[in-house]
Amino acid sequence: MRRIVYGKSLFGLVALCALCGVCILALGSRLVAADVDGIAVPKLELHDSRLDNGLRVILVPDHSAPVYAINVTYNVGSRNEPPGHTGYAHLFEHMMFQGSENVGKGEHFILIFNNGGGMNGTTNEDRTNYFEELPKNQLDLGLFLEADRMRSLAVTQPNLDNQRAVVQEERRQSVDNQPYGHADLDIDNLSYDNFAYKHSTIGSMADLNNASLQDVQNFFKTYYAPDNAVLVLVGDFDPEEALAKVKKYFDAIPSQPSPPKVDLSEEQHYGERRETIYDPLAREPQIIEAYHIPPGNTPENYAAQALAGILSGGQSSRFYQHLVKEKQLAVNAQAEPDARIGPSLFYIVATPRPGVPVADLEKGIDEEVAAVIKDGVTADELAKAKTQQLRRFIDQRRSTLGTANLIGQYSVYYDDPNLINTLADKEAAVTLDEVHAVATKYFVRDERAVVITMPAPKDSGTAKAAGGAQ
Amino acid sequence: MIRRNSIAALFAACALAMLAAPGLRAQDSKGTDVSKVVRLNRAPVNKEVLHVQLPRPAVEKLPNGMTLVLLEDHKLPTVAFTMMIRPGQLADPDDLPGLASFTAGMLREGTTTRTSAQIATEIDSLGASLNANAGFGAGYLSVNASGLAPDAEKILNLMSDIVLHPTFPDGELAQYKQREQSALEQRLSNPGFLANRALRRALYIEPPLSVNSPTKDSIAKVTSADLKKFHDQHFTPGNTIFGVTGDFKTADMRALVERAFGAWSGAAEKPIALPESRVSEPSKIILVDRPASVQTYILAGVRTIRRTDPDYYSLVVMNDVLGGGPQARLFLDLREEHSYTYGAYSGVNTNIYPGDWSGYAAVRTPVTDGSMTQFVYEYKKIASETVPTSELDDVQRSIIASFALSLEQPSQVLGSWMTVQYYGLPVDYWDKYPDRISGIDAAAVQAAAKKYVDLAHMQWVAVGDRKQIEPVLKKYGPVTVVDANGNPEP
Repeated sequence: MRRIVYGKSLFGLVALCALCGVCILALGSRLVAADVDGIAVPKLELHDSRLDNGLRVILVPDHSAPVYAINVTYNVGSRNEPPGHTGYAHLFEHMMFQGSENVGKGEHFILIFNNGGGMNGTTNEDRTNYFEELPKNQLDLGLFLEADRMRSLAVTQPNLDNQRAVVQEERRQSVDNQPYGHADLDIDNLSYDNFAYKHSTIGSMADLNNASLQDVQNFFKTYYAPDNAVLVLVGDFDPEEALAKVKKYFDAIPSQPSPPKVDLSEEQHYGERRETIYDPLAREPQIIEAYHIPPGNTPENYAAQALAGILSGGQSSRFYQHLVKEKQLAVNAQAEPDARIGPSLFYIVATPRPGVPVADLEKGIDEEVAAVIKDGVTADELAKAKTQQLRRFIDQRRSTLGTANLIGQYSVYYDDPNLINTLADKEAAVTLDEVHAVATKYFVRDERAVVITMPAPKDSGTAKAAGGAQ
Repeated sequence: MIRRNSIAALFAACALAMLAAPGLRAQDSKGTDVSKVVRLNRAPVNKEVLHVQLPRPAVEKLPNGMTLVLLEDHKLPTVAFTMMIRPGQLADPDDLPGLASFTAGMLREGTTTRTSAQIATEIDSLGASLNANAGFGAGYLSVNASGLAPDAEKILNLMSDIVLHPTFPDGELAQYKQREQSALEQRLSNPGFLANRALRRALYIEPPLSVNSPTKDSIAKVTSADLKKFHDQHFTPGNTIFGVTGDFKTADMRALVERAFGAWSGAAEKPIALPESRVSEPSKIILVDRPASVQTYILAGVRTIRRTDPDYYSLVVMNDVLGGGPQARLFLDLREEHSYTYGAYSGVNTNIYPGDWSGYAAVRTPVTDGSMTQFVYEYKKIASETVPTSELDDVQRSIIASFALSLEQPSQVLGSWMTVQYYGLPVDYWDKYPDRISGIDAAAVQAAAKKYVDLAHMQWVAVGDRKQIEPVLKKYGPVTVVDANGNPEP
């Protein structure tokens, strides 16, 4: 789940996970794969096939370490939840660790960690993924565990009640007991009218309380079918042998009718939407702004990613040099565009310097945005942003697990696993004119949302919003 | 992040589930509808553990006294540098907590030949990263840099410039202080930070070890002269271990490092004299009042051992049985069976001085009582009952098998070898490590639990809403209440 995290070092993309402290970040499309100044990133060899039951299987040999990673990404996220069922996709992710025909409740954790591996599951708006990394001699184990729960999830009322409470605890830990936790949810609520992205992935306490065993069973039947998933294996194996094992474990799982398509379209907004939250857990104010941008893997979204690097990538960036250092309006300011299947958002998050009025910082941010619209960006700035993207991409490619998770995401998001090899060209193709155009077209004040958080008196109870939308 | 060398105990709560009939466990007072961890043992597990050896780095001492650790890794065209400069925060004056971290944080803010903005532009243009920090409780200050392999020399030159020639300009320091004051305010709203600060004080009592953060006062009064003095006194090659991993040839990298740092001079300091290890105080509970909290952050710890202590291996194995991951007892009990929390874990924190062991969970406020009961139950159990053989086997296999995964992370492997240099461990330390772990028997695990999961001296911290949790906590020991700034509340 894309979530904004406060604080200068914490800002970034964070996933809702089955486990905290053991989670791999859900990565946005931040890849480059090409030659930049003579740097060659090794291309990956993708063996892409489909079983008779519709399961897409992508095998990527990598013999650099005696390990492998498995990723199963299901084409379901919180965008699929109707009103009254918020949080179900993520609750269901937790239920996938509660046992299946041949795996006991909690045994998944036990089997993976006790054999030297790592694992987790994460949910965001657009997809749900499950992944493990293990020594290469445990190839059967990972495949067996994923196949068994795809085929035969076993859900009981006590286990549902147990994980419902765990998920509610996750919400308290990450939202209700954190400063700015509600601001992160409210910015999306204001930014979208379409329910698919308007509501939070973590869900409301009331909806979670209403989730029944029948709901979970229906969800499983609708979305957890082989033809609604992709299986990615990356690591130290022979692709032919691995495919034989995949068939052995997954072939017998029946396909299901395709789940209903979700309309993600968003009507144009007229008028800025603004909200102020008085948060008793916050000790300093915070500003979040969100502008509408096109979906991920589009030329305009790539231009927005490059623009974000120019605005806040590193201490030489515009926000840091202008807002933090020269004008001393902020202690931190970050630009963070997301890349969803559908209409996406360009977030700007900033904390004012102590004593600086929020309005002054907001004006400072507006001036930076206006400067890009007026004069564009420089060739040096764009080149710098692209080099930073290349560096990030290489780091993400380091582990088999990071690679597997990205390929799974690209398959489900864009039906294009090979994006792992071609994204570089797309990012390298971004031009100065495109960056300028995207700023001009999408940094529209009348269509944005703004959430301001102000510290509240300590005895004022839980966070309250004041001044509604529009 | 995915857990690597930390390990696990598996079987744990499962052993409980099988040993006791439903509803009969003391802590299951309700007795019905309990969600139990179950092991079916039907999944295909390869019983053979894949043994791997960590690749050995080239290690040498340069003529100026700096220890160099070089580890080639050619998978991707990157390079990463890391410096450990002793003694870091341990040299902070009592009246200026955070001096080492201020010095580290200001290294990038100007040198004799570059301004802060020039340094930022050069680093960002390379797509590189360069940062420094001095962790509280750590015995060294770190400087880290990384980037694309062809830029190794440029990155090294920048790193050398900020380490050897920082000027700590007054104007930059004034701005840095603003950011630090704000960052401190942010941390004060974080329950985990508040808990760790209170525990650190309770366990270590005197500075520098009792401190885990600068103060408003220390940020306000630190001067450029203070930073220069700290730098001049402690930044020497004799105090430094310098590690590099990535896509290079060892001989070439050695020459590059020599060129960038060879002219640096200064001998190693004598180790900082630390306060004598104190006899632990009787168990007590510190309640950090955080009004409007909907959770209680429970953290409890005990002083333990140095990293080089022979008990290290049994302490690590014991911890992995108890709280080393999602397969360990605390997680399976407090989360999977009781759903009190999103996660419950424990950890070992050793150092050049006797460190600590601690366990924690963030739980919803109404189950503070039940969670305390389960923590105490698990802590008593591991000290009073022998760990079953199968559970111990699983933990040992987990530790040894996880070495394979670490091979994917050259920076982690480099860090392991720098640890060997830092603590003066034998050069074959990691080769022997699996056998050391395998050699720990159930009696050693229990002995470690009795010695270190010591309820009589355990220091508890609970960060939460005082109004709701103070009466509950009093059932578990004497309670002292402090506010977010650590000052006693009446």
